[in-house]
Amino acid sequence: MPEETIAQSLKKKGVSRRDFLKLSGALAAAMGLSNVLPVSANGLPLNPGRGYSMNRIIAKALETKSRLPVIWLEFQDCAGCSEAITRSNSPTLGNLVLNTLTIEYHETLSAAAGFQVEQAKQDAMQKYAGQYILVVEGSIPVAEDGIYCVIGGRTAIDILTEAAAGAAAIIATGNCAAYGGLPRAKPNPTDAKGVWEIITDKPVVNIPGCPAIPEATAGTIAHFAIFGTLPELDNLHRPMTFYGVTVHDRCLRRPFYEAGKFALSFDDQGAKNGYCLYKLGCKGPTTYNACASIRWETGLSFPVQSGHPCLGCSQPDFWDGGGFYQGQSAPLEHPEAVAVGAAAAVGAALGVGATLINQAKKKPKGGEK
Amino acid sequence: MTATKQAINAFIHETGGWAASQLEACTRCGMCAEACHFYQATGNPEYAPVWKIELLRRAYEQRFTLVGAMKTALGLNKRITDEDLKHWSELNYYACTVCNKCSMVCPMGIDLGSLLHDVRAGMAAAGMVPTELMAAVNKQVEEGSPLGMTSAVWDQRIEWVVDEWEVEIPRDVKDADTLVVFSSIEVMKFPTNIAAIAKILNKAGEKWTISSKAREIVNFGFYEGSLEHTKLFLSRVLEGAKELGVKRIVVTECGHAYDALRWHAANWLPEANDFEIIHITGLLGELVGNGRIKLKPGAFDDDGTITFHDACKIQRKGGHIQEPRDILKILAPESFKEMTPNREESVCCGGGGGVIAIKVADPIRYAAFELKIDQVNKAGAKTVAMTCSNCRLQYADCVDHFKLDWKVTGLAQMVADALVE
Amino acid sequence: MNWNAVLQFARGPFFYTALLVFVAGMIYRLVTVIGLGWSKDRVPVKGSKAGGVVMSFLKGILIWPFIPWVKNTFKRNPLIYIGGGLFHLGLFAVIFLGAAHMLVFKSLLGFGWATLPLPIVDWLAAAGIVGMLILLINRIIHPVLKLISGPAEYLAWLFVFLPMITGYSLTHHLGPPYEVMYSLHMISVDVLLIWIPLSRISHFIFYFFSRAIHGQEFGKRGVKV
Repeated sequence: MPEETIAQSLKKKGVSRRDFLKLSGALAAAMGLSNVLPVSANGLPLNPGRGYSMNRIIAKALETKSRLPVIWLEFQDCAGCSEAITRSNSPTLGNLVLNTLTIEYHETLSAAAGFQVEQAKQDAMQKYAGQYILVVEGSIPVAEDGIYCVIGGRTAIDILTEAAAGAAAIIATGNCAAYGGLPRAKPNPTDAKGVWEIITDKPVVNIPGCPAIPEATAGTIAHFAIFGTLPELDNLHRPMTFYGVTVHDRCLRRPFYEAGKFALSFDDQGAKNGYCLYKLGCKGPTTYNACASIRWETGLSFPVQSGHPCLGCSQPDFWDGGGFYQGQSAPLEHPEAVAVGAAAAVGAALGVGATLINQAKKKPKGGEK
Repeated sequence: MTATKQAINAFIHETGGWAASQLEACTRCGMCAEACHFYQATGNPEYAPVWKIELLRRAYEQRFTLVGAMKTALGLNKRITDEDLKHWSELNYYACTVCNKCSMVCPMGIDLGSLLHDVRAGMAAAGMVPTELMAAVNKQVEEGSPLGMTSAVWDQRIEWVVDEWEVEIPRDVKDADTLVVFSSIEVMKFPTNIAAIAKILNKAGEKWTISSKAREIVNFGFYEGSLEHTKLFLSRVLEGAKELGVKRIVVTECGHAYDALRWHAANWLPEANDFEIIHITGLLGELVGNGRIKLKPGAFDDDGTITFHDACKIQRKGGHIQEPRDILKILAPESFKEMTPNREESVCCGGGGGVIAIKVADPIRYAAFELKIDQVNKAGAKTVAMTCSNCRLQYADCVDHFKLDWKVTGLAQMVADALVE
Repeated sequence: MNWNAVLQFARGPFFYTALLVFVAGMIYRLVTVIGLGWSKDRVPVKGSKAGGVVMSFLKGILIWPFIPWVKNTFKRNPLIYIGGGLFHLGLFAVIFLGAAHMLVFKSLLGFGWATLPLPIVDWLAAAGIVGMLILLINRIIHPVLKLISGPAEYLAWLFVFLPMITGYSLTHHLGPPYEVMYSLHMISVDVLLIWIPLSRISHFIFYFFSRAIHGQEFGKRGVKV
């Protein structure tokens, strides 16, 4: 366990007391902590009373806690979630969070490679057993005993199960780790699964998105780092803070939806006027994510704002959600003309059969008129 | 269960695509009830036309549809019983004149009148026709007329009309142009009509005749609903016409007879298409229109307001809506006032369809007539003209029953009285 | 309850099956009715059968729903005219002129069309719902309708009403979350599709038969339809 506290390491890096408090406030805001009560993890009373704002609580926690070890595993992934969080244009928050952690293992970020890194991971898992945070990126294939993702000679299932055993918390970042993501799209040849479908004996937090919004991943990690507990989750195991409302409910183009003003193509007058993208296939209404409120690149923009319909990337099976540019109301499966023709033929054939029976019934029996 | 079986066999035999598609189209909206004068007059929901044809619909559903088969398999079907037939016989014969106003208001355009006729056919096959009506039918089978007008009586009556009113009535004239067939109602109850029509045709110089074989235009088989009897009575008329070699047949002031002969006969007896068939109302319009007869303008303008009763089978189902009005505009330009509603939307007199022959149905018939009283009073009329002698019978009977001070007359009568010599 | 999975099922295989059952069922109904036989009409025509048919459809579709005073019986049936008219108007407006449903047709047929603004479709949807309620109340209290209505009528009402009310709540985010409401809407639509060939809702097809027959019967006699 690194000895110095988070606050101390920040101070070492030259962050002043005032900036430290500001950062604590930013972190509190990012975690949506306006009235979450800090609990015994911080040795604070349930009712802090006057003088205790969220900022101060966070600050207190950072002052008393030391940095958390993190094992970051990547399986069938594109590393986009890692890219998002490390290249995000939020130096204060991203770095702050990274400063609360020590990343003991990360494929993409490691300078080193090969069996030495694997050995370092084993050492860290042993040293910090029961204390480290396991972050998973990418889906886990289970077809053919998991042969479609093998790292250092071991299958992903194997690596994951081993790492999950000693983890204090498991966070699945990105749609792939949460729900299978792109590899799971039809026909799903590798039988890709999300972490929570494999690890069923421990709670798994899903931070879906393609990629996941950096603040969401960061905020959730920070929540655990500071409070030692997982945030409130919805029935798909997503933190309510970030996934409690739909993109549609916070979308800046919502008034146009209500007024029925839609863009009909990507370069028509409607699109130029910033009209609603529902007719171009926006999946906003059924997509729970923070894109419309927190947005990307420290609130710079998000797909709809930039003119592209929401793909629904934080929902399970969004790749099979009916086509990115097909209206959300359209059915997912519809019969081809051939199938319809076959149904009509079946109906007609049954009809002809029924007609023959009916015509036979109509023939007058002997003696009747 | 024999009666029911027979009825159902009849229903099934006559149900074709024509009936089935309409039975399928019904959404049970109940609008037809609001158009039925029997329902309007009594408030009895069973008089709703859609309910009157319920047995037909049930038989159709149970025998011919998938849903019917499924319901039978699940034991959800209400089988038709003899009691049902008896009950529905009353609904169909006592409380329906087949006026067909219901099909005018049906949003789906279902021809309820014809469907009800199909129900009557089933009743006839099952022997569930009201006794009084059946007695009249049998009389017509045996004697040629439901009103006791045997051949001898007919001869006698025609002779009497010729003498009494001094008109010429050519009888059994071979190769005449036109065969005129009177109804026994006119012969027995309104003989002035015979004289009137004879006078008009003679004035118009028409080469016409009546026929002793085809002496009755009334068709009680049509009221009964039995195809066999209907065809029998129609063929007497057509044979008489054939024997005399005429080119056209004129139906005098009778409604249902016109419906049967003009609008249905050709589908049962192809020889009907050998003749042009026309109603006297249409002929009058023709004769006035082409000047073969001339009328005294305003001949009836001095006797108070006169209104016109549209006969269901001659106006709404016959198409002769404008002719009476054209004539009345000449005969009573000042005093003619329409009832409301009128023309194809008019209200039935309540006595047609065989109802007037069924004494048991009298209370219902009189209740329905109260709607007409209301209409005539609203028009402020004291005289009612019409083109159907069954309506005239109903009006006459009701004027007596309700002690009204109206004058009831026929259009042919008025035309004859106003002829310019 | 995993409503996302329910939604995928309702929009996916359930819809697929329901649509095929609908097509097969309606064709079956048409074939069996037509197959019961038609006879030739040998009666000479006085007016015009074709003219009667045209007027029958004009009055049935274009004029009657909008100008109720065309028919004298409006005075005696204001409830049915208004309730039925509102319902059909609302239903057709939402199904064919609402953006959401137009996109469904677009995915099935390959082409779409211009739609009405949402607030207008909204009002018409509400009118449709009100119309349905009027019709239900009328069916329960009117003596004739009470007599002629059975489980078939009430079920048909329910299966048509459910998509309307779930669709309305869905668009307005009333009550349960969006994906729950959407699932219920899709399920009720799929059930309706299956129910149509089994019930009198199929009157929308037989309407054309009965109105054509009506037009012919009156047209051939030269009587105004």
